[in-house]
Order: sequence, then structure tokens, then C-alpha cells
Amino acid sequence: MANKSIKKDQVKSLLDKLAQSNQLIAPIQSEGITLFKPVKSGEGVVLDYQNALVPPKDFFFPQSEKMFTYDTTDPSWAITPVDGVPNRVLFGARPCDVKSILLLDKVFDAEFRDDYYLDKRNKTTIVAMSCTDARHTCFCGAFGISPGEAEGADILLTDLGDKYLAEVLTEKGEALVSSCGSLFTDDDGNGPAAKEKAVAPAKEKQMQIGLEGVKEKLDNMFDHPIWDTESLRCIGCGTCTFVCPTCHCFDIVDFNNQSSIGYRYRCADSCQFANFTRAAGGHQPRPSKKERTRQRFMHKLRYFVDRYGDFGCVGCGRCIEKCPVNLDIAQIINKVKEVG
Amino acid sequence: MNNVTENLRKTAAKLLQDQEVKMVIGYGAGSEAGRTQPVFITSPEDAEKLVWNPFCVNGLTKYLSDLKNFDGKIAVVVKGCDSRGIFRLTQDNIIPRDQVVVLGIPCAGQMSYQKLAAKMDVSGQLTDVQEKGDNLEIKTSKGNLTVKKSEILLDKCALCENHNPVIADHLMGDKIDIAPKPEDYEEIKKYEALSVEEKAKFWLSHFERCIRCYACRNTCPGCTCRECVFDAIKPDWVGKELNVSENELFHLTRAMHLAGRCVDCGECDRVCPMDIPIRLLNKKLLKDCKELFEMATPGSSEEGGSVLGQYRLEDPEEFM
Repeated sequence: MANKSIKKDQVKSLLDKLAQSNQLIAPIQSEGITLFKPVKSGEGVVLDYQNALVPPKDFFFPQSEKMFTYDTTDPSWAITPVDGVPNRVLFGARPCDVKSILLLDKVFDAEFRDDYYLDKRNKTTIVAMSCTDARHTCFCGAFGISPGEAEGADILLTDLGDKYLAEVLTEKGEALVSSCGSLFTDDDGNGPAAKEKAVAPAKEKQMQIGLEGVKEKLDNMFDHPIWDTESLRCIGCGTCTFVCPTCHCFDIVDFNNQSSIGYRYRCADSCQFANFTRAAGGHQPRPSKKERTRQRFMHKLRYFVDRYGDFGCVGCGRCIEKCPVNLDIAQIINKVKEVG
Repeated sequence: MNNVTENLRKTAAKLLQDQEVKMVIGYGAGSEAGRTQPVFITSPEDAEKLVWNPFCVNGLTKYLSDLKNFDGKIAVVVKGCDSRGIFRLTQDNIIPRDQVVVLGIPCAGQMSYQKLAAKMDVSGQLTDVQEKGDNLEIKTSKGNLTVKKSEILLDKCALCENHNPVIADHLMGDKIDIAPKPEDYEEIKKYEALSVEEKAKFWLSHFERCIRCYACRNTCPGCTCRECVFDAIKPDWVGKELNVSENELFHLTRAMHLAGRCVDCGECDRVCPMDIPIRLLNKKLLKDCKELFEMATPGSSEEGGSVLGQYRLEDPEEFM
């Protein structure tokens, strides 16, 4: 489909319309905090935000999710599956967060197909938003992500002043545009050039981090003393993993409140917690902060590459900004490059 | 380099050289301007890594609990607020006092990295910072900024009971002669005046956001249980499921466990990635304990412990 555009003063109508026939998920600001939330209309949706405090990952892989309910007095031990999600539109996701969903696909849509994830993934149309500015912790470029590209999204919007350029990237995107009638108009042909100009500051301002040789070096750094020194300041909280758009480890728990009727849920778990690897009988393969810190960086920069051919980080910078002790993945990458 | 940094490096190097301590915990340069990071120095040559500037926000005393089995004495850098954490740890028998050398730094107030980041690109390295009256002149590799201190002051520093550490074996700078501004609990009184429904609405809207990262617990010098109630698997007092009910249970339990013990350093508030005003809960408990038991802010002196862990004949018994 040819490039489209939509006037800024039409965006609220677009969101209102999308909210009528879909569950609309969009960035909302409250008390200075930007978060993706389901909304009933375009009212209060912010589109000039830099990045949401936590990624929209939660709408595909919720931090906590009911899997099924059961009743142990039922002779057939039947389980009742939970309802799936309605058709949804995720509006305003940034390119780094869109890329993270492609990375989650590699995990949840591979040999083992995770129905819980795929139900949400398949029913969601993603309308991404290019970045025209970068936060001080942004470094998506290191992972080949561009502030003006969003492979994995269905539509990519770019702020061009009084209008948004709308690049329609998939059939799902075409369907969305078609359903919105005259809100979208054909782009005048200047859109792509204007987009390059609009996203240039985001490319220039972000941290320029090179990853050449980092993975290969990490291949031989399992026992390197860097993990002893860098892990000392870690306080073992789960902030980095819970604000991460690609972290996807989870635990599964049954809850029955002392009754025969209960439910099973899964919830995000963090490799930074001691309980994450504590086994029955008390065995602990990652007994200290050293092994846990190493695991996080190794998983992002080495193991994920081995398993899926891509880095497990998108340079969104959330963990950098939120780590209470300044354990900074960009700094770790630079240190890895420096060590002999 | 400022005098405090110079003193700090000299003192740390000497303590390590003389083998009086085997480790010095202090602040080192951060990865961004407006931040420092905790550093753990074990050789005299590395004492050069220590810095002191208005971005030394972290409380470092909790690391003494992590390192309680460390073979040798440890020196730790403290400001007034976190110096109270030293006595929390000694009173709770987490560390023996004679295993710690306290390097105290008088502090006029620390600056917020988030507030600075809203005013300048902090992705560079801090090259110099000078206090000029009410202003701070901040120089970084990506630009300079002169800013009013009050505009980027850490919220907690607006009220400060101890500009000078309550304990210091070595003082790294001249004592600060600013009148302490103890907590007046005006903010707490405002919340106390709310109805139960209003309070619930306020807190549940915050607890709903909690991601249960446990940063507030992990940074707290009062949270040193061998097995935390939130980590217990059998019985699982608090479920791992993320919902407002479990989150509320977590926050209220965490706060209550610190009643009469919280040293009011404000670290829980600072580290919360979701900007939940955790410290308000602790302040309410602090206010109540002070009113009921005529208690000083916990950790203010070597003696004492937990008012709720002691029995005195004059304790109020209004409920009997």
C-alpha cells in the first residue's frame, strides 16, 4: 500500500474509532509517569513521549497471567482454559519495543509454540511511532535498530510537524487503514525524505556503542574477573529484568486458597533473584551475585545470539536509567571490549 | 578535585596500606554525569577511584550486611542520613561495630539524577562540579549547566536531621554548620486527614504499579532477615502473582516490619523504579512510634534498638 498520512488533529478521531472495535492500548501519562494502558478513547493519549517506563511487553507476555482454572473434585480433572484476548491495537510503540516483540517471537513462536503469547500476538495490530528525539540512555543503533524503522509493526507513524507519515507495512496495517476511511490520505510523496530529517536527531543524540567482537569475547569470558568486580554493587533486585522489553523468564504457580477450586498462573521471574535457581534440597547453581550478574549480561549478549542469531537487547536504556546502583549495560559492553 | 575527595583517597589508601581495613566501600565515577556508582576498593592504588560530589546519593551501609562474612575489616563512606544505617546494623547484630571503620562526610544535600536529566543531556561524563552560592556549576563532556541547587535537590534532602554523620571514625570534611531541619510530618498529617476510602484510593493506585522488583527491600539497612518473608516458598505468605492485593500485602508488610526500626534514609523511595512514594508509609510509622514511645529517629545513637522489641513500664497501653 502506498504511504499515507494523517493530520495531527485527526489522530484523536482515529483513536476513538479504533477503540470502538478493538481493545486500544496506548501511552498514558499520569503523575509524570508514562505507561501503556488499555484506553476507551483517544482522550489523554500522549504521543510525544520519549519512552514508557515499562515496555508494552506486558500486553503479549503479562508479568502475571492466569493459565487455567481447575477443580480437583471433578472426576474427569477437567481444566477450564482462560478466555483469549479481543482484537487489539497497540498504538505508539517505539521501534526498540517493536524489535523486542520480534525477539520474543523467537522464544514463544519457535519449536514450542506458546498459545498464551500467540493468542495476544496474533490478535494485536501494532502501530509504531518513530523517535524524533533520544533519551540519554538510548542506544538502539548498536543493535541495528533505527529510530525511523519498525520491522514487526503493521503501521509506522512518524511525526512530521502538523501530520504523521503513515507507512503501511503489512496486510494487518492495510486492513486498519481501510477501516478508517478518510482519516488517512495519500502521502504527497515527500514523506520519506521528511521522515529521514525528522528522525536524524534521534540517531545522532543517542549513545554510539559498537558491538564488534563483543559476543566473541564473551564466549571466552565466563570465568573472567570482571564479573567479580562488576557484581559487587548489585543489590540483587529485579528492576533491570522487569523493565526489560526482552526478558521473558517466568515461573508457574498453582493457587487454590485451601480449596478444591484453584487456578494456575505464570508470572515473570528474575534471574537476579536468589530463588530463581534455588532447587529442591537447597542446591543453588548460581549461589552469589557474581553468577546472577554474569547470567544477565551473558544472556543478552552471548546466549541469545547462540540460540536465536540476534542480541537479546534492543538498547532501550530502561535498565540503565532505573538501576539503583548504576550497573549499566552500555558501560559493561565498553568494558568487555577493553579487557584483554 | 575537592578537599573531601582528596581526604577520602588519602585516608582510604592509608587504611588499606596499614592493613587496618581490607576493603573501602565508597563512591566512584558513574557511567553518566549526575550519577556515581558504589565502588569496592581493596588496594591502596585503587583509592584514586574514590570521588565525592553532590551525586553520591546511594546509601552504602547495606553492603556491610552482604559482606558480613568478609575476612577483614571494612571501611564505609557515609553521609548523615545513611550513617544511621550503621547503628541499625550494629543494633540488629548484623555486624560488630569493631569490624567497621566509618568514613563520615558532612553533607549539605544531594542532587537528583532524574531532575538533572530533565535539564541537560547527562549521557556524558562529569568533569567538574563546583558549588557557587545557591548554584551548582556542572561541567560534563557533553556540555555545561549552571543550575540552582534547590531545583535539582533530592526531595528527601529538603528536610534533613543530620547534615553531619551521627558516627564517624574519620571525618572527611569540615562539619557543616547548617541548622538541621527535622521532619515536621506536615505531609503525613495531610494523608492522615484523608478518609479511609481516599487513603485506599491513593495507595492502591500506587501499589497497582508495583512490579515487585524488591529494590526497596534490598537497599534497606533494616531488611536483613536471613530469609525474607517475601522469599519464603513454604509457606508462601505472599504469592508471586502480580496484582494489587498481593502488592498491597507486600508493601504494608514491608513497612510494618520496619516500624520503630526504619532509619529514614529514604533509599527505598529513591530506588523505586515505579516512583511509588514508599517512604510515606515508613514516615507514618516513624511519626506514630515517636509519638507513642518518645523515640529518636532509629539509628541516631549507638544505644537503643527497636522500640517494639523492648518493654518499658512506661509504654502506653491504651488498648488494654
